[in-house]
Amino acid sequence: MTETERALLWLAACTPLDYRERVTLLHAAKHPVALFNEFEKFSNLVLKGGRNGVYNSDRPARERETDEVIARLKAKNRFAVTYVSEDYPASVKAIPDAPLVLFGEGNRELLKKEKFCIVGSRITPPWAEKAGKKIAGELTEKFVIVTGLAEGGDSAAIAGALESGKLICVSPCGLDECYPASHAHLKRQVKEKGLLLSEFPFGEKVQKGFFHARNRILAALSEGVLIISAGLKSGTIITASRAFDYGRDLFVFPYNLGVKQGEGCNELIKKGAYIATDVDDIFFQYGFAPSKKQPPTLSAEEARIMEVLSENGELHAAVIAEKTNLQIYEAAATLSSLEIKGLVTKSGGNKYSAI
Amino acid sequence: MVSKIICYTLSGLDGVPVEVEADVNKGIPQYEMVGLPDTAVKESKERVRSALKNSGLLFPVNKITVNFAPADIRKEGASFDLAVAISLLKASEQLVGADVTDVVFLGELALSGELRPVSGLLPILISAKGHGYSKFIIPAANAKEAGFMGGAEIYPARSLSEVVKHLLGTAEIAPLQTEAFTLSEGKAGSADLKFVKGQPVARRALEIAVAGGHNLLMVGPPGAGKTMLARCIPSVMPDLTFEEALEITKIHSVAGTLGEEGIVSVRPFRTPHHTATTVSMCGGGNRAVHPGEISLAHGGVLFLDELPEYNRSTLEALRQPLEDGKITVSRAGGTYTYPSRFMLCASMNPCPCGNYGSVERTCTCTPAEIRNYRRKISGPLLDRIDLQVEVDNVSYDELTSNLEGESSQKVKERVNAARRIQHSRFEGCAIHTNAEMGEKELSNYCVLSAEGDGILRSAFEKMHLSARARARIMKVARTIADLDFSEEILPKHVYEAVSYRIFDKMD
Repeated sequence: MTETERALLWLAACTPLDYRERVTLLHAAKHPVALFNEFEKFSNLVLKGGRNGVYNSDRPARERETDEVIARLKAKNRFAVTYVSEDYPASVKAIPDAPLVLFGEGNRELLKKEKFCIVGSRITPPWAEKAGKKIAGELTEKFVIVTGLAEGGDSAAIAGALESGKLICVSPCGLDECYPASHAHLKRQVKEKGLLLSEFPFGEKVQKGFFHARNRILAALSEGVLIISAGLKSGTIITASRAFDYGRDLFVFPYNLGVKQGEGCNELIKKGAYIATDVDDIFFQYGFAPSKKQPPTLSAEEARIMEVLSENGELHAAVIAEKTNLQIYEAAATLSSLEIKGLVTKSGGNKYSAI
Repeated sequence: MVSKIICYTLSGLDGVPVEVEADVNKGIPQYEMVGLPDTAVKESKERVRSALKNSGLLFPVNKITVNFAPADIRKEGASFDLAVAISLLKASEQLVGADVTDVVFLGELALSGELRPVSGLLPILISAKGHGYSKFIIPAANAKEAGFMGGAEIYPARSLSEVVKHLLGTAEIAPLQTEAFTLSEGKAGSADLKFVKGQPVARRALEIAVAGGHNLLMVGPPGAGKTMLARCIPSVMPDLTFEEALEITKIHSVAGTLGEEGIVSVRPFRTPHHTATTVSMCGGGNRAVHPGEISLAHGGVLFLDELPEYNRSTLEALRQPLEDGKITVSRAGGTYTYPSRFMLCASMNPCPCGNYGSVERTCTCTPAEIRNYRRKISGPLLDRIDLQVEVDNVSYDELTSNLEGESSQKVKERVNAARRIQHSRFEGCAIHTNAEMGEKELSNYCVLSAEGDGILRSAFEKMHLSARARARIMKVARTIADLDFSEEILPKHVYEAVSYRIFDKMD
């Protein structure tokens, strides 16, 4: 680890400062190493109230603190990628408020690959979750999927990409913490198969504002962002506007009118986001060849149901039965087989739609 | 002179003989009762005194001792009144020449000397007959209930004076005629599937559930008609046999909930409110252990509306009776076993606001709220519910349409046919329906073809079905195949069975 990296690591992990204060110090000192060596000279720029510990720290103490952090990271099998590190993602470096250090646990190699972000609201309609999961799986052919750890849209993306291991989750809190707590198992799987990233190394609890900060990393890491669901005012919209700011391609699922969980998506379309209904819509923008899909083999009944569904959109099982001249229980069986094949999804209230 | 009269008390669903002895001695007038009588029995003193006086008989003005034997059983209730009165009359030599040996006296006395009905009469009569007694004097109000038991001389009396006249031979009471068991038609017709609008999916699930004896969970928005569907279940269940009816009647007789008819001829449909306690659900009580809702639902349906609202421990207490078909309740007063083989039908909303999955209305619940709501129902309990089905939000057009659905009678015919197949399949086994199959029967009767097994395998992978869902799916597929008169379980049966596992897919 170079001296600059050590200095940045110390600044990010050992000082009780916020992002803006750290940047102020760096600008004043001109170089991280200069700041590290002569912190006392600059500290009064930000530490007006005199916070304990840091204000009084001397250089040997800073060295010791940095060694401790490195040892702790190593013990927990984590790594730190600093702004000056070789594998610090260039796309993140390009944003104006790039994090000084990214802490990670899992497969570090994924940072070097092309990345694509998929996010959605916590309340996401079942069909959108299924479709998001499917697209996430298909995108892993070319991209590493970047997402959060929340319920709904994020979970769908994780479910689709986890198997391939091409998955980066960015956590809004320290790597020891898990938010939401109920996703501890998901977090564990992500660490094992993919990569978990955070701006915070250890046990920082989630705070107001951390989500916005995390969303900027999601957008910054990725070539493009796919929004699978978003209300008019939601964290997902923040990610989308960051993507706009950073000049990333923005893709969204189109929604019916009057569906609350999709109003933000439709709003983004008005502002110029691409409409994505299929993985090929995304591949096309990046000049990739359309994904090779095997047309599934269908029985006569299955084909009939698929036809009815693609003509009419979402339908009730009884209506499907009527339109295909099947008994309701025959239709239920056939729909079930289509569901297993991943061509149809149940969207509640015995209604089905094709995906 | 000492007299000895036979009476009966209840222990669970069984009658236990109690000898009522009375001794009238010279001395200071005194009235003692010994042999572990509880308060209601002790109070019979005053009832008997007034009843004797008002029937034109003498209450002996001597030192009276009444003993209940065996002395170690606690005597409860007012059904000893008649026996106490008769033993007093016998002891005071007012019944000279009357033969009261081996006659069982049952009944509560009113102050006027009239006889009041007692609860639990039928199980007492059945036990007593088994003990070799064949002559009974019972309150006339219990005559209906007693009439279904043949092979005994049963004399229904309206008052104490009638009993005395009968015993002295001055005015004989006509013995009760044995009544033939008939199913009551009137009540069964009140809920019928033909009045249920729409709901094709839920109707089908209901049919499968009844045909195979499976438990059913209906998930749907408020006011979709879950309760109405559930009320139709007894109307499609196979008719009660006399033996079943007698067993159910015994329970209801002990609980004192027997109606005018005197026998339960319609399958019970119990709907305990979600504030029900574990004791009211499973049975129990202070000293006397009363059958709970699950026993009262024996042979019928236990309907739990708004399942997540029930007390969790109450729901968990259902697990063992659901497996065993009986419940053993232990109290200080003793340990009693009641049968509880019922079909569990439960309903719930998909989420706290009820709109999850609805297209017309937006669900306002957060994922955490939905998860917490569903988590109220434990996995092991869900494990025992084979079929989970969504109930549709019925549209206004459907509600107002005059089109009648298929009637319960037609569904019942199909159910009966499927049940017949199961009867011949499980001939000689201890089980009767597909739902009761264990591992051994599963491997014998639910053999899947390679294709069927492949479907199940891919269903597991694609839908993230839980491991415990496998046996459930196979059992339901077996029932669907039976309804289809198919010897083998075909792929379409497996597919349909998979479609009734919505809870596994929700995770």
